[in-house]
Amino acid sequence: MPSRREVDFVYPKFAVVGHPNKGKSSIVSALALDDSVQISDTPGTTTKKRSFPLTVDGKVLYELFDTPGFQRARKVLAWLEKHDVPANKKHEVVQAFIDTHKEDKRFNDEIELLEPIMDGAGIIYVVDGSQPYGEEYETEMEILRWTGQPSMALINHIDETDYSEEWKRALEHYFKMVRTFNPMQTNFEQHRSILESMAQLKEEWIAPLKASIKLFKQYQEQMLERSASLIARLVYESVSTVVKLPFYTHKVSEEEREKIESNYKDRLRELEVTTQKHIEKIWNHDHLQKEEKVLTFEGMDLFSEETASVFGLTRKELLITGVTSGAVTGAGIDLLFAGHTLLLGGAIGALVGGTGAYFGFNELSEVKVLGQTMGKRYLEMGPMENRNFPYILLGRAMYHTMKVAQTSHAKREVFDIEMDQTFKEKWLDDTSRKSLEKYHKKFRSGSALKAEELKEYEAIIKRILKHLIDA
Amino acid sequence: MNIKSYVNLYELLALNPSTREENRAFGLTHVMLKNKPIEQLLAWVEKHQGRLKKPLLSDTFSSYLYRVTFTLVVIAFVLGLVSGVALLSYHGHEPVNVIYFMAVAVFLPLLTMLLTFFAMLRASSAENVLIHLSPAFWMEKILGFLPGKVQEQIKGLKINPLLANWIIIKRSQIIVLFFSLGLLLALLGVIVTKDIAFAWSTTLHISPEVFHGFLHTIAFPWREFAPSAVPSLELIEQSQYFRLGDKLDEEMIAHASQLGEWWKFLACSTLFYAIFLRFWIFIFAAFGFSSAIKKSLLTLKGTSKLLREINEPIISTHANKSEKVFVSGEGNYSQIVNTLDASYDGIQGWAIPYDELLVLGEWLKIIAPVHYEVGGSNSLEEDTEIVFKSHGEILLFVKAWEPPTMDFVDYLNELTAKVDKVIVVPIGTVENHYDTTDKEIDVWENKLSMLGDRKVWLKRSSAKALSGEAQNAES
Repeated sequence: MPSRREVDFVYPKFAVVGHPNKGKSSIVSALALDDSVQISDTPGTTTKKRSFPLTVDGKVLYELFDTPGFQRARKVLAWLEKHDVPANKKHEVVQAFIDTHKEDKRFNDEIELLEPIMDGAGIIYVVDGSQPYGEEYETEMEILRWTGQPSMALINHIDETDYSEEWKRALEHYFKMVRTFNPMQTNFEQHRSILESMAQLKEEWIAPLKASIKLFKQYQEQMLERSASLIARLVYESVSTVVKLPFYTHKVSEEEREKIESNYKDRLRELEVTTQKHIEKIWNHDHLQKEEKVLTFEGMDLFSEETASVFGLTRKELLITGVTSGAVTGAGIDLLFAGHTLLLGGAIGALVGGTGAYFGFNELSEVKVLGQTMGKRYLEMGPMENRNFPYILLGRAMYHTMKVAQTSHAKREVFDIEMDQTFKEKWLDDTSRKSLEKYHKKFRSGSALKAEELKEYEAIIKRILKHLIDA
Repeated sequence: MNIKSYVNLYELLALNPSTREENRAFGLTHVMLKNKPIEQLLAWVEKHQGRLKKPLLSDTFSSYLYRVTFTLVVIAFVLGLVSGVALLSYHGHEPVNVIYFMAVAVFLPLLTMLLTFFAMLRASSAENVLIHLSPAFWMEKILGFLPGKVQEQIKGLKINPLLANWIIIKRSQIIVLFFSLGLLLALLGVIVTKDIAFAWSTTLHISPEVFHGFLHTIAFPWREFAPSAVPSLELIEQSQYFRLGDKLDEEMIAHASQLGEWWKFLACSTLFYAIFLRFWIFIFAAFGFSSAIKKSLLTLKGTSKLLREINEPIISTHANKSEKVFVSGEGNYSQIVNTLDASYDGIQGWAIPYDELLVLGEWLKIIAPVHYEVGGSNSLEEDTEIVFKSHGEILLFVKAWEPPTMDFVDYLNELTAKVDKVIVVPIGTVENHYDTTDKEIDVWENKLSMLGDRKVWLKRSSAKALSGEAQNAES
């Protein structure tokens, strides 16, 4: 029976190795869609190998290792070269090196990076294509050759200067495949292309990596769907939000009006911020630092309304109640007179009940029963009547999601989300506006929203988002 | 599935009792429920129900609903009974007009059923006037206002407007059904306990033939199997009366015993229009209510997220362990050299070829008797030999863009053990005219400050400064 360790070996593993500070962690961060990886200009930030498995429901499809850079490459190679062995035994010497120096702190980094390779991982050797080639790299490449594992080289473009050609010429001597990759500008196509290259390293890795590519596509769909769902909820909740502020005086003060306006705006801003945080989490950008203008309400007339309730009934509800109860009482009188009143009792009752409820609403609300006021008066703001507001909110949410989705996980600088003026024209055409408006009208009406309607609205948002992200 | 399922799900979603992984595990262990979202939600509620605080809000809410409904049903039944007795009150002076009873037992139910039908069509609207017309709606509002522990408990519960409307629609049908039962009971009771002379009277010019035709139509559901429950033309003719003269027709008095025959028609009308049809409307409302619960389950906040978590595979690319990183301190190296001397005992370049060292020496106008490439492609033995030959003050050029490795540190330690002073000079690329960036120099300064070797000095200035020094040396 195969051991668990042997079973685990079925999936491909890749160790990202190289000289210190050449962007290994950036590449891992971009490929693993993980922005928690420590990326620093200081060399030697990574001291331990770290595994980034791609899993589906816990099943590993492939595993990526971020490793520390070579520190004492010449000493390692010198040790290896002391052993004069044929090519088919060289990997055993590397294993012997690991076994011999496991406790030797001097070779901590080398052991950390060689271990996954000797465990069967393919090698992804990273160099910085923006800096010139140096002979000292050959020592590292020679050590990797000793391991006998399938390998490829990735030329990482950290800045503008380009030494890729001289790197390529050198790397091609050691690696069967040399690819360029900019972790700062990675997109799905680039990601797929790198995975395809990794698959070529070993025949048995083709199938799992093809499955991984398919899965990444599914993953992106999931992220799009979840973002669209959150944006749909955000617009629905923001438009239909009603904020209430009880007041106990006869007239509402200016301060109270300002307070409810501020509460209302804060509530809508809070909804937006919460949604943005969730969207960043969906796209694995939990650590994103961003600068963005807060949601403003310029040019929107926000009106607060004074409302009241008696027995928890609004004026309208009390009016209907008054009419109904008046009619019932009147009909009772009609019955007592065996219909001789020609149902006038019901009609008069309805009229009296309705009029009484309408005009007596305010007085009734102030009547105290057992020390408790029968009615409550409050200021109310919302739902948002401004027709442009949902589009402003949608535009901001779409722009934010698009930026988050397009940002590489290797980026660590503060992210400026400043929407340019042309964006609105880019995302909102007449057809989209028409199909969205139907739902916005429904949100404003306060009617119960059917699950299918929200799904349809989500689908429109997803379609627009997909178009924006892919563009 | 009932209202309790809705309230339990509502509470559980707010409580968020399970992780994404647990929800997915639930989905995988309930594969047979895939593509059946309602069943999935109900099974999920059942699984996590134990985590809810006792007494369950769903129990409190449904028992509150039951109590309110029961109270209203009792009131409606009594009202139906009283109304029936009132409508059939007979003192022997003048007959009971069947039209009044028919108004309550036939026309009113038809009208309210029509309103119910429209209310059902517009059930999704939060501000549904037809719903507000229902006594069940405002009675509950009033009851809800009364102080009580239950009201406090269910205050925070937000019911989907669609569901709330269907609760009222369904409950209204039960209430009206009991009102009608009260009415029928009153009719039967009065018939048994009194002799009633029924008649019909109207100001409108309606002939007995027309009225017969009208009643024949009303009696269509039972006229075939219970013909005696359909008033004959003869009975209709005999029971028409006018109040003018305050005196009963001789003909009526002569057929007094036959006038009571109307009760069968009234009983069948009540049974069919007020009870049978109402019962079917109630069944219909029960289906609508059940469908509203299903729809409302799907619109609850958090439901779509939960369903996604149950059904979508968890794709993870994250590291399974948190990262251990090495944090280096801010280097502030005290052994800084600002200007280079005109000569040194040796010039060495870490992974910098011999020819380039000569060019560098020429460019900086620095003279040295020996130039060596160290590190790079050199073997360790070659480096040891160079160290062995070194003495005095050594100028050690390094590639500024390449961070110092431990290989370099080892060599530096070896070298400082042999010489008096080592000046590390980071240089940029040839294309950049050996210019370096502050960031690159900082990396070197950090490393050297960590080493803390008194013999090691750092030349901290850009290539421009270096080239300035070269020009000064020339002049």
